[in-house]
Amino acid sequence: MNFTIMFDKEKCIGCTNCMKKCPTQAIRLKDGKASIDNNICIHCGECIKICPYEAYSSESVESHKDKNYKFKIAIPSTTLYGQFPKGTEICRVHNAIFKLGFDYVYDESWASELVSVAIKKRIEGNIHIRPFISTNCPSIVRLIKIRYPSLIEHLISLEAPMEIAARLAKTKVKELFNLEDKDIGIFYISPCPAKMLSVSDPLGKKPSLIDWVIPLSTIFSDLYKDVKKDNGMCASNPSLKGIKWSYSGGQSEAANLINYIAVNGMDNIIDIFDEIENGRLFDIDFVEALTCVDGCVGGTFNIVNPYIARNTLKYIEYNTNPDLLFNDDLEKFNDFYKEGVLDCIISPDEAYGQKVNMKEAVQKIERIEEILSALPGLDCGSCGAPNCLALAEDIYNNEAEIYDCVVLKAKLNENKN
Amino acid sequence: MSDKGLIKRIAYNVPANDFKAAGKSSSSIKSNLKAIGIDARILRKIAIISYEAEINIVIHSYGGNLYCDLYEDKIVIVSEDKGPGIPDIEKAMTEGFSTASESVRELGFGAGMGLPNMKRYSDEFEIESSENGTVIKITILI
Repeated sequence: MNFTIMFDKEKCIGCTNCMKKCPTQAIRLKDGKASIDNNICIHCGECIKICPYEAYSSESVESHKDKNYKFKIAIPSTTLYGQFPKGTEICRVHNAIFKLGFDYVYDESWASELVSVAIKKRIEGNIHIRPFISTNCPSIVRLIKIRYPSLIEHLISLEAPMEIAARLAKTKVKELFNLEDKDIGIFYISPCPAKMLSVSDPLGKKPSLIDWVIPLSTIFSDLYKDVKKDNGMCASNPSLKGIKWSYSGGQSEAANLINYIAVNGMDNIIDIFDEIENGRLFDIDFVEALTCVDGCVGGTFNIVNPYIARNTLKYIEYNTNPDLLFNDDLEKFNDFYKEGVLDCIISPDEAYGQKVNMKEAVQKIERIEEILSALPGLDCGSCGAPNCLALAEDIYNNEAEIYDCVVLKAKLNENKN
Repeated sequence: MSDKGLIKRIAYNVPANDFKAAGKSSSSIKSNLKAIGIDARILRKIAIISYEAEINIVIHSYGGNLYCDLYEDKIVIVSEDKGPGIPDIEKAMTEGFSTASESVRELGFGAGMGLPNMKRYSDEFEIESSENGTVIKITILI
C-alpha cells in the first residue's frame, strides 16, 4: 500500500496556485503542468485544497471493500462525529460503520485520552526541553524533519492516537473473539492525506499496525444515509477528552495543560518554529502545531466547515453523560508508559550532520546569489518555480534555465527585434 | 582582527529601536547556513546567538552591524554597535540582569538572558565595550 498524492495531468491547466501554496516548495511546473517532488512533500494536502480544477486527490484506486479479512476493525477519526447534524448520537455513526461490513469499531478517542495523559507526564518529567512539540500531525513532523531538523529534540515523541488505537483494538478483539493476527484487518477512517502516508511510511521506527486507510469523504454519504434511518438500539462509548483532539487546542486541553500554544495554518506554524529555533518560547510547555485550519477538523477529507464541526463536537462534549463512558484500556496506562508502548522515536534524516566543505558551499550560495541578481525579483511564478530564489536554485542545479523567466525572455525577444 | 582563512563575510545593518524588523538579519543568517548544509545542532546555536546579538543592538544601542563570518572550521558572529556601551560587563553577563526599559520588556524582550545565552552556546566569546560602542565576537566551531 502506498498513498502518494494523486495528480491528474489532464485537469491541470498550469495555474501556479498549488506551487505558490506548497509550504516546502515541492511543486514545479514542467511543460505547463504541476509536478511534485515526493522527497520533500509533507502530504499536508494544501495542493488538494487550493486547486480550482480538482487535479489533485488522495483517494486510493483500490477500495477497502476489496480487502478480505476474516475480521474487520474500523477506527474512525474523532473528526467524523463533527460531520453529522448537531445532536446525532455517536452510536448511530458506529451502527452505520457496522453496516459497511465492519465487525468491530474501536473509538480513536480512548487512545487520544491515553496519549493526553502521557503528554502531561512527559512534560512534567523533563524540565530541560521547552517547548515540547506535539507529534500528532504527520505533516508537522515531516516539516520539522525537512525544514527544522534542529527542532527534532523538541518533539514529544509520542505515537499518534490512531496507532495506539490500532494496537488496543487488536489486543481486545483477539481476547474477545479468539482470533489470530492474520485474521484481523484494521481500517482507519482518515480526515487527511498525511495520516494515510504515515501508515505506508511511518514517522518513527515502528511499522504501522493499520492495514488500510479510508478517506472519510469516500464513505460519508453511505454513513449519512444510514445514520438518518437508524432508530434501533444504541449505546455509544467515546472518550469526551479524546474527542477534543479533533480541533486546535484540544490536545492541550485534554492533557490539562495551561501554558501551551495551539497554532494552525502553515504561515503561523513557520513563524512559531522560527521563534523556537531562535531560542525563544523556552518558557512555554507545549506547542500544539496542526497544519489544517483549526486542526484535524480542517483536514481535506472532512465534509463540513471546520468551525461548524468544532461546534458539533463541543455539543457532544457538553451533552453526553461522562459517567456512562468507560474503557478499561485506560487502566493500563502505567504499564504502557513504562514499556514504551506509547513512544514514537523520531530521528533526523541521515543527510544532516555531515561535515560541510565551506569553500564549495560558499561558492554555491554566491553563484545562486549571482543568478538571483539577474532575475527580476517579481516572484510571479510564471517560470514554473514558486519564486525567483527557487528558480535561481533550480538553475544552479541544472533543473531550469535562465530564460525560463518570462520577463528575461520577453526582453531577449525585444532586443532581437 | 585576524581574517586568516576567512572565506566569506555576510554583513547586515541593524537599526536601533526597530522592533518590527528585529530578527530579520538573524533569520537571513539562518537560511544561509541551512543552504550551506550546516549541522542542525550547530545551526541551532548560531540561530540563538545571532538572534540575541541582533536584539541587543536593537534594544540597547544606537544601531550597528551584524556579521556572519564563514571559515573552513568555524563560524564567527560579530556584532558591532555605535554605543553607548555597557558600563559593567560583568554585571551584564549575569543571568537575569537587564537594563531594558519596561516598555521593551512588555514586548517580550529584555529578560536579561541575552549575553549569558550567547556565551553559553559559543566556543569562544570575546566582548569589548566603551562609550563609542560594543564589539562582541562569538566563535562556533564546526
